[in-house]
Amino acid sequence: MWQEKLRIKKSNPIHGLYPFTKMWITLLYCICAMILSTITIDGYPVYMMASFLIIPVLAAATGVLKKISGVIKSIAIISLFIVLIQGILIKSDLILYSLNVFNLFNINFYTDSLQYGLVLAFSVLNMGCMVAWFFGATDNKELINAFEKRGMGPKASYVLLSTLQMIGVLQKSAKTIMSAQQARGVETEGNVFVRSKAFIPSMIPLILGSITNTEERVLTLESKGFLVKGEKTRLFDVKPNGKEPIALTIGILYAVAILIWRILLWVL
Amino acid sequence: MGVVIEFKNVTYTYPLTTEPAIKDINLSIEEGKFYGVIGENGSGKTTFCNVIRGFAPSFYKGELKGDVLINGLATTDYEEGQLALTIGYVFQNPFNQISGVKETVFEEVAFGLENFGVPVDEIERRVIDIMELTDITHLAEKNPFELSGGQQQRAALASIIVLEPDILVIDEPTSQLDPEGTESVFKIIAAMKKAKKTIILVEHKVDLIAEYADEILVFEKGHIIKRGITQDVLSDMSLLEHGVQLPQMARVGSELIKRGVKLDYIPVTTKQATEQLQQLLGKESK
Amino acid sequence: MKEKKYSIKKDFTLLALLLIPIAVAINFAGGQLASLLKLPLYLDTIGTIFVAMLCGPWVGGLAGLITNLVLGIANPIYIPFAIVNVAVGLVTGYLARKGMFANWWKWIISMVIMALASIITAAPIVVLMFGGITSSGTSLITATLMATGAGIWGAVISTELVFTVLDRIISFGITYLILRVVPERTLIKFSLGAAYIKTKKTAETVEEVTEADEDVDNL
Repeated sequence: MWQEKLRIKKSNPIHGLYPFTKMWITLLYCICAMILSTITIDGYPVYMMASFLIIPVLAAATGVLKKISGVIKSIAIISLFIVLIQGILIKSDLILYSLNVFNLFNINFYTDSLQYGLVLAFSVLNMGCMVAWFFGATDNKELINAFEKRGMGPKASYVLLSTLQMIGVLQKSAKTIMSAQQARGVETEGNVFVRSKAFIPSMIPLILGSITNTEERVLTLESKGFLVKGEKTRLFDVKPNGKEPIALTIGILYAVAILIWRILLWVL
Repeated sequence: MGVVIEFKNVTYTYPLTTEPAIKDINLSIEEGKFYGVIGENGSGKTTFCNVIRGFAPSFYKGELKGDVLINGLATTDYEEGQLALTIGYVFQNPFNQISGVKETVFEEVAFGLENFGVPVDEIERRVIDIMELTDITHLAEKNPFELSGGQQQRAALASIIVLEPDILVIDEPTSQLDPEGTESVFKIIAAMKKAKKTIILVEHKVDLIAEYADEILVFEKGHIIKRGITQDVLSDMSLLEHGVQLPQMARVGSELIKRGVKLDYIPVTTKQATEQLQQLLGKESK
Repeated sequence: MKEKKYSIKKDFTLLALLLIPIAVAINFAGGQLASLLKLPLYLDTIGTIFVAMLCGPWVGGLAGLITNLVLGIANPIYIPFAIVNVAVGLVTGYLARKGMFANWWKWIISMVIMALASIITAAPIVVLMFGGITSSGTSLITATLMATGAGIWGAVISTELVFTVLDRIISFGITYLILRVVPERTLIKFSLGAAYIKTKKTAETVEEVTEADEDVDNL
């Protein structure tokens, strides 16, 4: 049966969770990270930093660690720069550590700025990587289908789906055009101006072509009943795998525990 | 038989132009008949199709004078999108008749039925049947973007006839096909006729039109210069002067008559020609 | 063009909606090509500007939003910057609706307004969320400015100012080039498209174009 055939099969119980469940878990995690950032030891957001370790573990358990390791790396680099820029370039009263460079000048790390930098950096890291986990573990098609079942209009879902498809197609043809331009001797090396001159003519035929196609696409959609009134059906259907209550319970317990801890620290 | 499409003094002009693309058309299209539309390039055939489907003026803008009635209601009075339920329109360029959101040909063909809200089990059944009919079953799991021109043309046809509209408007469905593929597409269209569909087919391959169509509409410069029963229209040699292509058999037939061979009528199909020749040979052998 | 009653719903025709994926793809391709060519610019709002100029602020803003959400699937860092791209769409579309791309001096004013809108939305995100860092090479300039004693806001805003204005000028220039070569029969189908139709062609030429595709494959 085609309905069965079209379903995206996921044997991993976390991977196979319903998109919204994964979304709730992501949201809870991000909120918890923000709460944890307010619990510090000597001014350092140690707990938030430690909670980041959950993400690689979760990603590994979901089976998507490899898939998102590139994103994690690039977010980590940005985070590192945030810490450095904040810690070194924003001056505050207390110098934590002074690095002497060849007896020429000192690079100072300022305590307050470093602490603030760590909060920023780990907020970015925690939220960025958790969202990366979410998208890594959720197929776009599933997510859009889930939203559609929650009342998102067919036009919105069409625009999202076709955007995702078109990016793939355009990425491919951009590369083809670039190599064609190169083969024709159009400069893609050289200085900025030479390169910019190559850039514009490579874009325009690409765009014009897609606009012309759009016109016919409108007629295609209309002919295929896209604007017909009434409920639409869907061959593709994302279904829960049954583990959602457990996953959600764990997420909520984690959040509640951190919330209680936070409140206790205030009260005590 | 009832009239399903009616043109009353219809003139349509595209935006930014002054010369109408079709002029003063008065016409009744009858239910269950197969109409072949022929004429030179740019004579208004595609515009004619767009006017029937209501895309002109709803999409192309421009100016429509007169009334185009589909089942008694003017195209401009239909609610947006609802005409898709009555008219199936397969247009020329097969490469852009893809929804752009489906990953397999199967889903692509099913797309229209999803939009119609047909239950999933029924969708499966209908799509499987139509793919069988249009001979694309083996492509079911392919990405629609990866099909050849001819395959896309079949898929485009399949994804419209699966909707089972009462009226089919088909604009040159065989441009990307080899003779064998063309023949099979005509057989599919003929099958649609058996299913009591009204068919309007724009096609340059007059030899095939001669075989399948009930009536012919001949376009020239936006006018319908001749219309009538296939046999009558396609045997009218004066059309050649208007740049209209006529079936090979008709041309041979009229040439034979001119040279004094006694034929009962000018044949337009191979079958008729064979019959006549057999008759002729029969007479001679007596 | 005649004054007509304006409604948001009218902006979102099927054609306008279908232009959104293209706008996003242009943004995406622009950004990719810019980094491929090692240009010190983003060029990732060309599509947003294009669609906003043709279909108005709401479609433009939506194109901007979807661009960054889709980019965010690959790298969530882009998601907070969605607001910048939305602002580009809204402001450009509004300017287009007010006819602010009609001549050269309006053009310059529009350019400044578009750049300002980007900076006002981008700077707080860069400073408050990312501590002055963006993923582009311009961060080095920001850092240098800060090292020479400029405050973080001043450093971010002045860096962004230079590169955003440059980016918008180039992006708008490209958009303008595209609009000039889009066929008139296509332009006329968009809510703001009529504004970019300059010369009235003779009837024959347009008709030829309209009917030309009818018979390409007939020989």
